[in-house]
Amino acid sequence: MKVFLKILPILFLLVSCSNDDYEPLYTNNPELSINIPVGFPQVNNSFYTNKPTKYGVALGEKLFHEKRFSADNTISCASCHIQSSAFADNNVQAIGIEGRIGLRNTPPIQNLAFMRFYNWDGSKLSLENQPIVPIITHEEMDSSILEVIGKIQNDAAYKELFQKTFGDENITPERIYRSIAQYEYTLISDNSKYDKVKRNEATFTENEMQGYQVFQQKCASCHSTELFTDQSFRNIGFPINTNSNEAGRARVTGNMDEYMSFRVPSLRNVEYTAPYGSFGQFTTLKDVLDYFDNGVIEADNLDPVFKNNGNRIPLTEQEKEHLISFMKTLSDVEFTGH
Amino acid sequence: MKNLKKYLLLSAVSLAFVSCSSDDDAPVANNVTLSFKNTFGDTEIVLGGATSSTASVNTSDAGQVHRFSELKYVISNIRLVKADGTEVPYNVNDLDKGATVVNHANPSTLNYVMSNIPTGEYKQIKLGLGVRSDLNTLDQTRFPNFYATAGANDTEMMWEWGTGYRFTKIEGFYDTDNKQMSIHTGSTVEGSEGSYTQGVDAYRNIVLDLPQNAVVGSKAPKINIKADFDKLLSGAYNTITLSTGTGMGDNATPNIHTAVQMVKFVDNIGGNGTTDNKGMFSVLNVEN
Repeated sequence: MKVFLKILPILFLLVSCSNDDYEPLYTNNPELSINIPVGFPQVNNSFYTNKPTKYGVALGEKLFHEKRFSADNTISCASCHIQSSAFADNNVQAIGIEGRIGLRNTPPIQNLAFMRFYNWDGSKLSLENQPIVPIITHEEMDSSILEVIGKIQNDAAYKELFQKTFGDENITPERIYRSIAQYEYTLISDNSKYDKVKRNEATFTENEMQGYQVFQQKCASCHSTELFTDQSFRNIGFPINTNSNEAGRARVTGNMDEYMSFRVPSLRNVEYTAPYGSFGQFTTLKDVLDYFDNGVIEADNLDPVFKNNGNRIPLTEQEKEHLISFMKTLSDVEFTGH
Repeated sequence: MKNLKKYLLLSAVSLAFVSCSSDDDAPVANNVTLSFKNTFGDTEIVLGGATSSTASVNTSDAGQVHRFSELKYVISNIRLVKADGTEVPYNVNDLDKGATVVNHANPSTLNYVMSNIPTGEYKQIKLGLGVRSDLNTLDQTRFPNFYATAGANDTEMMWEWGTGYRFTKIEGFYDTDNKQMSIHTGSTVEGSEGSYTQGVDAYRNIVLDLPQNAVVGSKAPKINIKADFDKLLSGAYNTITLSTGTGMGDNATPNIHTAVQMVKFVDNIGGNGTTDNKGMFSVLNVEN
């Protein structure tokens, strides 16, 4: 026993040394069990190094709603990522502090644990690297991470949550980013009528079924998998955003073949995320389908789906109606609180 | 015993000698100043707007006149190479102490003073145009001063969406009708060095031989470095014709704040990163 007591401090020393490069899992903060829906793609690798925990998620949710993230304390993540809109909003382009207009349409925050790319141009590959961007961007929160920490560090509620999550009260940038990512990992939408039909808990109406068939024939090559996106980047000839910061995926890669290409959007909860397009070019789903039907803008790198079909996806009025019926079966009233 | 005394005496004398010589003549270290001369060819650039009568006007190889209203770039990762080949890094892992934003509009930024450079003769300087990817993370906790400098309203050297710094920021006008040009460069890489999974690295390592050795010791030498922005459009790699529009080939504005057209400008001013390590830079002279 005596010997054990003697070596105990040494053991502690060894443990703390080896733990230097990652957050030790605080023992009173259990991992949450996340239900991976059947048929969903594999989770992002970052998930495994930042698994949602009971208090990490609670802290992340509180931070997600924290208006002190913005320079003038008016805007939180949740100001643009609104639950009833599948954690997107209904503005054409995102609106930051003082009414500043952002470059693009707010992306929904749903099923991100299963995504390989984040943002419409895939600029980020792990969620933990994303929260700093809106915090510092002039058109969004226009603050800095140390300014944020300065504002919240004496808040007793935060002290308690950081303590419970990480074992001490220290508020660090890393811990903020990781907590928010943990919360976002839990935002899984898998309980739409479509899901229930798949689970034999419901049946499509005649119109929905017709729409599903048109969808599989004319849409599913891009809007594939149970996320309804293959996560590829494509130029589909939508009206172009002339802002000098916009080049689509090519903004990141510099690859001309990806000029004005954007990540295929998930269609889950699409009913709630109008307007559509990278900068909200289309007010309704009908507008989008009409545009496909009428023909899109020509481009050297226009996606073959259009290029090989006269730059359009021909759709009859009835097909459009059916498609919209089907797309509405992807609405998850539980997830969005409708 | 007699011998031992001799040795002791000798040691004492030599010790005194050593301490004398270091006190009087050569300190162990001194400053080295890097003085940046931003030019079009041999003429120092005068900034100015579209209607300015004093702004330097340059003509590119493609025949386009152009002028700058704003000119900034980041220098980091500075290393001095001694005559014997030893490399002396200057706070290369600390942006607060080893990086600077050269802002042509602010004369005090044109002279970067490096302190505590070990006494010796130096034959070469290496520096980074931009910020190495491993440090290019907007880490405010680690480098609060550089973060503040880069983010200041009169600097604007942050590339928020790429979570990194802008490496160069050039605003100006081109062609006889003074169309706007706006050229920003920065890195968009994700992943770790050697295994980037996506993006473009706009950092360039510059290697410049000094025409005469910089002698650090009792004096603090000054190295005059020319940055010839004529190369921006008329470089060793790309003869660039500026154009304005929304097509993927347009490069003056818009589309220049992205990785699409950026690499051509980066290669011209920073070298291609492999065979050319000079780009627009050269050493004019060393003031010892």
